[in-house]
Amino acid sequence: MTNPFQSSSTFNGGDAFSMTGTGMAAPTTQRRSSYANIVSGTTSLRPPRAGALSHMLNPADNDGGLYGRNSYPEFTQTRHDSTDSNSGTWQARLGSGLPRLSSAFEPFFAKEPLLSMPTSEGEIYTNGLPNLSNTGFLSPSYLHGSIYLERLEKEYKARLAAEREGHAVKTQVGAGSTHLPKSKLPSGAHRGVSYELVEKPLLIDVEDEGISPLPSKWNRDDKDSQLEVLGDGYEVEYVGRSQAEHEASAVRADHYMPPQCGVYYFEVLVLHRKREDTTIGIGFSSKSVALTRPPGWEPESWGFHSDDGNIFAAQSNGKPYSDKFGPGDTIGCLLNFREGVALFTKNGRELPTAFRDVNFKDIKGKLYPTIGLKKPGDHILANFGQLPFQFDINSYMKKQKNIIMDNINKTDTSKLAPSLNDTELIQQLVLQFLQHDGYVETARAFAEELHVEKVALSLDPNEHIEGINIKDDEDANNRQRIRRAVLEGDIDQALKYTNAYYPNVLADNEQVYFRLRCRKFIEMIRKEAELNLVLEQRGVTQKHQPRRYYEQEDEEMFDPAAEVDSIGTLSKLSQDALAYGMELRSEFDADPRREISKHLDEIFALIAYPNPLKVKEVAHLLDRAGRGVVAEELNSAILMSLGKSSRAALENLYAQTSVLLEEMRQDGGDGAFVTVQSVIDAIPKPSLV
Amino acid sequence: MTSSSSTTTPSKHAFETRVGDVKAPKSGINALILDYLTKEGYPEAAAKFSKEANLELQQEKTNIKRRREIQHAIHVGDIETAITALNDLDPEILDMEPQLHFSLLRLQLVELIRQCNGGDITPALDFATTKLAPRAAMNSDFLKDLEKTMALLIFPHDSLQPEHAALLHSDLRSKTATEVNEAVLMRQAQGEAALRQLVKMRAWAESAARSKKKDLPERIELGLNGEDNDDYENGHEPMIIST
Repeated sequence: MTNPFQSSSTFNGGDAFSMTGTGMAAPTTQRRSSYANIVSGTTSLRPPRAGALSHMLNPADNDGGLYGRNSYPEFTQTRHDSTDSNSGTWQARLGSGLPRLSSAFEPFFAKEPLLSMPTSEGEIYTNGLPNLSNTGFLSPSYLHGSIYLERLEKEYKARLAAEREGHAVKTQVGAGSTHLPKSKLPSGAHRGVSYELVEKPLLIDVEDEGISPLPSKWNRDDKDSQLEVLGDGYEVEYVGRSQAEHEASAVRADHYMPPQCGVYYFEVLVLHRKREDTTIGIGFSSKSVALTRPPGWEPESWGFHSDDGNIFAAQSNGKPYSDKFGPGDTIGCLLNFREGVALFTKNGRELPTAFRDVNFKDIKGKLYPTIGLKKPGDHILANFGQLPFQFDINSYMKKQKNIIMDNINKTDTSKLAPSLNDTELIQQLVLQFLQHDGYVETARAFAEELHVEKVALSLDPNEHIEGINIKDDEDANNRQRIRRAVLEGDIDQALKYTNAYYPNVLADNEQVYFRLRCRKFIEMIRKEAELNLVLEQRGVTQKHQPRRYYEQEDEEMFDPAAEVDSIGTLSKLSQDALAYGMELRSEFDADPRREISKHLDEIFALIAYPNPLKVKEVAHLLDRAGRGVVAEELNSAILMSLGKSSRAALENLYAQTSVLLEEMRQDGGDGAFVTVQSVIDAIPKPSLV
Repeated sequence: MTSSSSTTTPSKHAFETRVGDVKAPKSGINALILDYLTKEGYPEAAAKFSKEANLELQQEKTNIKRRREIQHAIHVGDIETAITALNDLDPEILDMEPQLHFSLLRLQLVELIRQCNGGDITPALDFATTKLAPRAAMNSDFLKDLEKTMALLIFPHDSLQPEHAALLHSDLRSKTATEVNEAVLMRQAQGEAALRQLVKMRAWAESAARSKKKDLPERIELGLNGEDNDDYENGHEPMIIST
């Protein structure tokens, strides 16, 4: 067959469209080799017409690329599934030999937020596609912070972990790459409890029927035979013969657009059209629509067509919408489930609403990104969010959120507790929480300050304002004592108190008991590691040490000035930890539960490091924030044992809000745009030095 | 207090079960509490909580205290002191926020009227003409507020229209104090307490979900004042702030 990209020299601007130079329409093996050429940086092997790609790879003339920075460089084989077969080139890429290629990625690295995502689990996002992790997780920026994406990722990771275990393959991904973001200190430190260790919003879905993934590529099994899906699945080319007037060939994406997103968006770059009168239709359709028709002509399909600039809503009569579009144009398709509207964008510019009052949710909730091509050589490349979009979808999303936040801010809260005004309601919530959770001293101080406020507000000087009686609750005091011991890392003391005040709690809450025992082990390791750091600093004072873990600690640390028989102490600590670890192991070894043995393995691995505080993959296990988690688990267990409600009204309020939002998320309503977590995330960090 | 007669339905609504399954992360709740105590200006409680919950203070205690002092002055009706303290804290705030300045002066007028209590109204009148009238002339909302306030001078306080009587209620003090506090926070690039946001979000989410006809129990209890039976039985004393 003819290679349209060779012949495209006749085409104006053909340089830019000949994306991969040779072999565009050829079988993948050939494509692969062309990739390898590029990767190895050997310019001599590049065919002359590969100029367009070199734009993208070489920063020097990067700006010359037709599509600018948001263009779609063709990284056909950058995903992990191909690393095996291509390992040679892969390593070369990660190695030192490739300054050109690496710097070509920098624009993406510099501006894409994905890289700042926590890398707590040793997950490192190094690959070329900025919104695609090295494990292939697709994370479009406009969905960051949404419950949907968070769950999707959790599920994805779980599946990955299961696979990894199943195959017992352990690859250290991305090691040695220079692109790694500098690891950050746990950002939750100011809250005392690390939220990296706590599962985030902890929404346990009642009917967790799995969550539908995002469309990520064109579906090879859901396309007309005249079309070929190329490479990684982003590109589609028409390879058949010319068709009669009423026909077209369509392909759908692999997954439907999930309403839980609230808004779904994808872009399509028109790469090449052979003749001016061909039709490229961009839109969406349900599974039932025939693949021999472009999107928009059939019921349950909607589309925007290049040849006349018309839009089609489930019928073959179009409506004028915009200009025609063609090669070089990027067309975006946006579905807003919340408002029940759809619109298109062109080269980053928002076009008016195309389809309104279409109840997209009624199409069984399943609409797929769809593309219809018609003539040989028609060729498109889709961006399902794996790259930054041309259109500023993040701002669009933000506007949606702001509309909802405005409504929230206007809300009257008086219905929540009719007898209280909003200020009093919040005061009560706080006071009750403080008492419930055993923050006795805070509760007293707060009650006192509230009393002063009441007295001040009183207009009648003779009126007697009764103070708030904070009951001297023995339980609260006991719980506070236990909590403090855990927070100070004195697990033995905590165990002692617990057994003394609440003899049955540990026996009845084996999980909590296990956590406490493990924490004790961690504290032992921690002590040793801290001493180690101190010694090291004394020894190598001149050298600049990576001190951050040390600096994070406070007065509780060893006083460096103190005269300790440090070396002796150290080996003693080390032996003790080892002995305790063995004791722990033997106690729980017989336990069949996987999470138990997994956690044990995890913490025992700490012994393997000379100083685990300096190894960021495991240092988080030692984080003091972990104490808070254990302390709260224990506190809840005690409350339960006392028959008290395990949570305060404030926690109810939190949970109720989560579920209410969930109710309004499934169909892409308001709940898809706001989260309880976002309120908490907005809390300012401490401004103290 | 009145205990709401809780006639709990025998079987739990599916919604309640789902709520029960959601764990509120303690770290988040603690952050909300500290944020609230800081922003709304409860310096002692914030300091204690920072200690008890092992959290770093969001702002220095002195900072929280200064805002509390301003609020306190407004609560007791000493507006002059409040304005002085406010100017010390943020010399530009009243110039930048004319609405806030007017609210404070208006409250000061109310306090002057309260003080004259049927006696000599000259101080109040003087204050109104020199301090408030020039500002009211430039803004129709201010003018309306001033007119409403002046009515207090004319009518006996025991036979006022509700909208006039409201001005004499202590709510005006607490509302103005909150307004001032939030303005100070805004100028420090901080918003209202996140807990207020969360409470609003909860109220909004319920009414939005109800308007969408979602399947919800008739009433969703917060469990604040022992509405929840469990709390009663287990010795959780309902707490009330007597007024």
